[in-house]
Amino acid sequence: MDHSPVKQQSVSELPLNAELLIQKKSLIRIYLENMKKHWMLYVMIIPGILYYIIFKYVPLLGSVIAFQDYQIFKGIFESPWVWFENFKYIFSYQDFYQVLRNTIMIAFYQLIFGFPAPIILALLFNEVRLMFFKRTVQSLFYLPHFLSWVVVGGIVFELLAAEGVINAIRGLFGAAPILFMQEESYFRTIVVVSGIWKSVGWGTIIYLAAITAINPSLYEAAVIDGANRWKQIRYITLPLLFPTILVLFLLNIGNFLELGFDQIFNLLTPMTYSVGDIIETYVYRAGVLQGQFSVTTAIGLFQSVVGFILLWIFNRLARKSGQGLW
Amino acid sequence: MVMKKSWGEKSFQIFNYTFLSIFAATMILPLIQLLAVSFSSPIAAESKKVFLFPVEFTLGTWKHILQNEVLWRSFGVTIFITVVGTFLSMLFTVLTAFPLSRREFLLKKPIMIAIVITMIFNAPMIPYFLTVRELGLMDSIWALIIPGLISTFNMIIVRTFFMGIPNDLDDAAKIDGCNDLRLLFQIYLPLSKPVLATIGLFYAVGYWNSFQAAVLFLRDQTLWPLQMRLRGFFLSPEALAEVNLVTGDYDFNTITLKAATIIFATVPIVLVYPYLQKYFVKGAVLGSLKE
Repeated sequence: MDHSPVKQQSVSELPLNAELLIQKKSLIRIYLENMKKHWMLYVMIIPGILYYIIFKYVPLLGSVIAFQDYQIFKGIFESPWVWFENFKYIFSYQDFYQVLRNTIMIAFYQLIFGFPAPIILALLFNEVRLMFFKRTVQSLFYLPHFLSWVVVGGIVFELLAAEGVINAIRGLFGAAPILFMQEESYFRTIVVVSGIWKSVGWGTIIYLAAITAINPSLYEAAVIDGANRWKQIRYITLPLLFPTILVLFLLNIGNFLELGFDQIFNLLTPMTYSVGDIIETYVYRAGVLQGQFSVTTAIGLFQSVVGFILLWIFNRLARKSGQGLW
Repeated sequence: MVMKKSWGEKSFQIFNYTFLSIFAATMILPLIQLLAVSFSSPIAAESKKVFLFPVEFTLGTWKHILQNEVLWRSFGVTIFITVVGTFLSMLFTVLTAFPLSRREFLLKKPIMIAIVITMIFNAPMIPYFLTVRELGLMDSIWALIIPGLISTFNMIIVRTFFMGIPNDLDDAAKIDGCNDLRLLFQIYLPLSKPVLATIGLFYAVGYWNSFQAAVLFLRDQTLWPLQMRLRGFFLSPEALAEVNLVTGDYDFNTITLKAATIIFATVPIVLVYPYLQKYFVKGAVLGSLKE
């Protein structure tokens, strides 16, 4: 740049906002020169930016229809504003509480049972000494991750059908067949178990990578001090795994109420709506199929806000123990 | 390590191997059982006799399934979105990840933050649905591809990989007068084959299994991808049978047909799976590094 020492001195004597102005100017110049030199980088990222604007930010901003009485022909700009009427409506609506209760219950069960499952499995994998056995078993455990929920749902329905394997086995003991998929009392268990079945193996990968990164000399020292396997897990593996567990927990909690449309949609039948209809499936039916756009957007917004608040709270707690996402 | 195994440790090892074996078996046995059912006679299937081997072996079910034009059409749709979608997704992902991995790209930080924000604040389903509809994508095959073009997770995997490529390479390239586009395509991409294989496979599996997009955006049944068709068949197996099973005497029924369609939609994944596994695992670890 062409700043001579004399000029710079005069700059420092200028009033503060003029100084800022000059700084700003040179910042713009830096940007322009950078753009000129690397214009290809700026062109390259345009498709990506457009994608994120159109498919992420526009729908995010489109959530304002939660505060409108959105009418499809008037669009977002002409539809009348009703502010919190939609929220008042959903909170006075009996069905919403049922859907919310189902969502929270299933989310809670998944957190209690589904979240620790891959941690326990990774610890068990880590105790296997036969490499051939370990590799084979791991390959089998990863497989269901790649099947769609339509397929897994189909498998679950077939296994639990009146003529399915589970009832055949029950039949061997003389028990009468149970229509598992049609009965309310089994639905949440089926959701949690099938969820674990599908994702537990894949979930171990991150934990196994973290376990591999632990310095082996720690274990050697522990053995010399007379620690058995259990003590090694308790006092070395688990504490060193804790940061990974915490990060994954935080990533999980932000999506606490987002259970995954595909899974529930493919396991749900009208017979099990009372225990299994969750926010996502309800929003699909009432919003996409029946056209109640504003009310269902209000529900969706409520879901996102709850997720964010949970993330924020738990992140604060995590930061107190020394490590958060931000 | 020298270990004197105590009695407790020995019994734990026995428990561990047994438990893992049984649990691992449940991962594959349901598929084997359905395979067996699909080759069994309808009477055997109905009387709960079929476990891991076909009973009263017959090819009737498969002959019927493989002649189903609707099923093949859906298969074609799925092949199309898997091939074209994977290609476009990888192109978009790489083009986005590369500038975001360059120190000289001054907008790197703000754009990265804007993208990560979309991971934390997911747009609700309905505004997303309305946006896609406004774009005129309803009942178009592109609705199965374009709205999910870039997976932020995959983009971050690629970006992390690019950032790990040593800088002295680009200095050498720049002296040769290489511009940024050539730098990406001629130097970075050839070095990134493992990570490209990984995200390519993630995308391909995603498109193969894609379901929600079809539920939301397709009313037109002729465009249904395989997963959607599968669900349609589960809900009304009569459509799959195409004949009146009650009046006629056939060598298949709804049970064997359902089993066969599940296998039909799963086989491609199960077949490629052993070859691809190592890439998948690498990618899952890579993605977790930079969250």
